[in-house]
Amino acid sequence: MKRKIENLLLEFARIHRFMMRFLREVVSPPYEFKEIIRQCYEIGWKSFPLISLTGFIVGFVFTKQSRPSLEEFGATSWLPKLISIAIVRALAPLVTALIGSGKVGSQIGAELSSMNVTEQIDAMEVSGTNPTKFLVSTRILATTTMIPVLCFYVAGIGLLGGYLSIAGKDDLSFLAFFTQVFEAIAAKDIFAMVLRAVVFGFTIGFTSSYIGYYSSKGTEGVGKAANAAVVASMFLVFIEELLIVQILSLVG
Amino acid sequence: MGTSERKRTLTVGLFVLVGLIILVAGILVLGTQQNKFSKNLVITTFFKDVKGLKVGNNVWFSGVKVGIIKEITFQSIDDVKVVMHIEEKSSEFIREDVNAKLGSDGLIGNAIVSLVGGTDRVPPIKDGDVIKSVNGTDTEAMFATLQANNENLVEITKNFAILSKQMVEGKGTVGALLTDSTIAESLKGSVGSLNKVMSDANKATANLAALMTKLNGNQGLIHDLTTDTEVFASLRQSAAQLQGVTQTATALMSNLNETSKRLNDKDNAVGVLLNDPATAVEIKAILNNLNASTAKLDENMKALQSNFLFRGYFKKQLKEQEKALKAVN
Repeated sequence: MKRKIENLLLEFARIHRFMMRFLREVVSPPYEFKEIIRQCYEIGWKSFPLISLTGFIVGFVFTKQSRPSLEEFGATSWLPKLISIAIVRALAPLVTALIGSGKVGSQIGAELSSMNVTEQIDAMEVSGTNPTKFLVSTRILATTTMIPVLCFYVAGIGLLGGYLSIAGKDDLSFLAFFTQVFEAIAAKDIFAMVLRAVVFGFTIGFTSSYIGYYSSKGTEGVGKAANAAVVASMFLVFIEELLIVQILSLVG
Repeated sequence: MGTSERKRTLTVGLFVLVGLIILVAGILVLGTQQNKFSKNLVITTFFKDVKGLKVGNNVWFSGVKVGIIKEITFQSIDDVKVVMHIEEKSSEFIREDVNAKLGSDGLIGNAIVSLVGGTDRVPPIKDGDVIKSVNGTDTEAMFATLQANNENLVEITKNFAILSKQMVEGKGTVGALLTDSTIAESLKGSVGSLNKVMSDANKATANLAALMTKLNGNQGLIHDLTTDTEVFASLRQSAAQLQGVTQTATALMSNLNETSKRLNDKDNAVGVLLNDPATAVEIKAILNNLNASTAKLDENMKALQSNFLFRGYFKKQLKEQEKALKAVN
């Protein structure tokens, strides 16, 4: 029991140290721009088809599923407002983060842990390259910027999916739809969406890198790290979602 | 920088750019729609009760959104100060004598402030103006009216219940119609007659139709009347003559009228005879006298027959009479 608590505290200390190292490396030159761009390409562009398709389906299906309950009140004309609130406030960042956890988190976890297992990280250190700077910072920065960008795409495409779903049943013009969409949301909703996306992006990058970086040696360590990276990222995303909702409702 | 790396950089750049464009476009649209970037006039009004109006609710003028509620604060015990932001581009049509009224954009919709009224006589609203407020549609008052309606409805349905009961029991005309079989029978008879009438009418129409066809087919009197000019001319002549006759008849009638009027008057012989009772009495007296005179004259005449001077003449006349009788026989 005592040992378990000790281990937990050691883990926290290691996380803290990892975080501090990351922050230090981010602000101090030299900046690995080329590597950051490469990671952005891998993380952002490569997940774009998957995430945008998911966003479209979420928007489309959510609209279709919401229709009957609004129909009960004869309020189908409020469907755009409902979708707009649902997608901008909750679904867009959340869906992006969840799909991102699965796609990007497992990738980062597996990459770093396999480097760890094959002792490439140690070799890098020996050769004078800072592994935290080159491997970890670039990935975390890439997720922190790319997840919000992907989130904007998901919001746009999700709303488009919602529109197509409505247009399939009602004769609603595109302009009328978007007028209603923007009627329902306020500037603070967009701000909250960006904030969420940034926090989720950082969480995914940081968690996956940490788990990959400190994976156990041995071949099974790679699989474990990839799995743990996804599970931990998703879990943390939900915890943060809960906290952010609480904080934003306090702020107003 | 290798080609593939360059391509990768460009892809990432484009990807991020488009993503940011989506965000910026969203923020801009939102801003324009919620008047974040357009110039606004600050207008104030006071309500006794704002009925759940919230900051950010819309302000309508003639049903068009012209601004939003910016601030709601208490001013005094029974006044709530409502500050509105009105778009400058709409302000020239909103005059200073406009009234603020609370409403909603649907039965269960958001509370709104609608600006109503306003005339050309006063200038448009300016920044910092205070406008009057009026009481809008009160949901409670509406429900009170609805309650009164409900009570009326109960009364009406009660009456209907009584009415329908009576109908079922066969009271009144409608009840009798519904329940009395003899009436039904006679009704059936009536309907039968009606049927016959209708069939007759049908025939009549058919005849009429035939007539019309004939007429259209240039046959018959009416056709001649309507088309033949000669007939028409002679008809006109006849009518003229008829008119002459009627004029004469009118003259005659007026003469007759005059005569009868004169008969009624006493200023002529016949009139006196017909109308004066005094004359009648006199005439009666004269007639009496005459009667008496003739009786006496009769007696005188008989006496004259016995007179010796005339006896011979009467005997001779008697003999001639006898002779004539014999000749006949």
